[in-house]
Amino acid sequence: MFLRDYMVVIPGWVFFLIVLGIGILITSVTWALILKRRVEDRTKKLKMALEKAQEADRLKSAFLAAMSHELRTPLNSIIGFTGILLKGLAGPLNEEQKRQLLMVKESSQHLLALINDILDISKIEAGELKLFPSRFDLRASLEKLIGMCRHFTEKKGLYLEFNITEGVHEVIADQKRLEQVLINLLTNAVKFTEKGGITVTCTADQKNYIISVKDTGIGINGNYLPLIFEPFRQIDSGLSRKYEGTGLGLSISKRLIEMMGGKIFVESEPGKGSNFTVVLPKNMEGQDEKESSLDRG
Amino acid sequence: MKKNLLLIEDNEYNLYMMSFLLEKNGFDVKVAKNGKDGIMLALSEKPEVILLDIQLPEMDGYQVLKELKNHDELKNIPVIAVTSYAMPGDREKILQAGANGYIEKPINPDTFISDILKCLKDGS
Ligand SMILES: Nc1ncnc2c1ncn2[C@@H]1O[C@H](COP(=O)(O)OP(=O)(O)O)[C@@H](O)[C@H]1O
Ligand SMILES: [Mg+2]
Repeated sequence: MFLRDYMVVIPGWVFFLIVLGIGILITSVTWALILKRRVEDRTKKLKMALEKAQEADRLKSAFLAAMSHELRTPLNSIIGFTGILLKGLAGPLNEEQKRQLLMVKESSQHLLALINDILDISKIEAGELKLFPSRFDLRASLEKLIGMCRHFTEKKGLYLEFNITEGVHEVIADQKRLEQVLINLLTNAVKFTEKGGITVTCTADQKNYIISVKDTGIGINGNYLPLIFEPFRQIDSGLSRKYEGTGLGLSISKRLIEMMGGKIFVESEPGKGSNFTVVLPKNMEGQDEKESSLDRG
Repeated sequence: MKKNLLLIEDNEYNLYMMSFLLEKNGFDVKVAKNGKDGIMLALSEKPEVILLDIQLPEMDGYQVLKELKNHDELKNIPVIAVTSYAMPGDREKILQAGANGYIEKPINPDTFISDILKCLKDGS
């Protein structure tokens, strides 16, 4: 009775519109629910995938750290006993024995360097590498490294020159890590140079020290220049590789220098030589205050 | 006159290598292969310096350090951590835990003795 009165009052088209409206509403709500469900599903899957990836990352870096420890333990006795024998502490050696033990010594040191590189890159990739800045004399550090390098340049008949300008003194950086970078540049320069030699220069501007290691070696083809700072990249990577190495040195170096707020770059001409330059802030603490501390004194 | 030294290290070859090197350089070396024996030897021998591996079975180096610092008669003996446990910040953590020095493994046989003497000088 009542309803019928109503129907009379509401014209047919309005009724139709109301029904249509309700229809659309129901459909869209249903769709929205379905969509929401799908989005939730996807999000959950993505989250699971992400967690799996993070777990894999954690496992990977924990594995690499544990491996490095396991590798160092036997290496400790190899290097230790070799040193003891070479010093004659376990009795006198003849020349041939000495010669062979020196080769063991060199090989084990090489192996140690590789293990250290692998540990470093895994720490860097897991975001676990921390720097420990301290205040030290950059000139003294450079002179020490050049002194260490001289042995190798002399062995190859290369010259080794350096030029450190007046203003180079105190720096706040991670000394061990900076020296690691410079040793890598020097080692590369010696490795890839057959004639001529190496020139190390260091100058200063207001905020930075600019250190460059220049060689007269084989140089680097322009196509490869952007790749050499990427991990595991070696230009010569076939079976007939001529130069040994992991291809990790420069990528570690780049990351370390960037963590200190600096830059590293290269200019090179094939057949003429290469020039690697490090721009190092005089005070890495002034650059990035959140991560660093001066607690090592 | 010989310096009395206690070496706590679980790897047999490393233990032999380091004690050989130390003895040839005039140290009187006592050795222990785990933390518990190490602490007992420390109590009975009162060494002048302790070389401590950090990765040890059962009781790790940190626990040994803590235990040593808990004994009045041992807490002033300098402890040098000798470790290949190369996680970031380890050195700082170990020094904070009370070690007087830190030597990384693999040791350098050419500088091992002077490294120890340097730790003793710096850390006291
Ligand atoms: N001074 C250099 N002269 C010529 N090529 C170089 C020089 N330094 C680096 N390179 C090239 O860059 C590559 C990567 O260097 P690096 O990351 O130090 O790894 P590795 O030394 O282990 O090969 C080298 O393999 C080499 O091809
Ligand atoms: Mg290299």
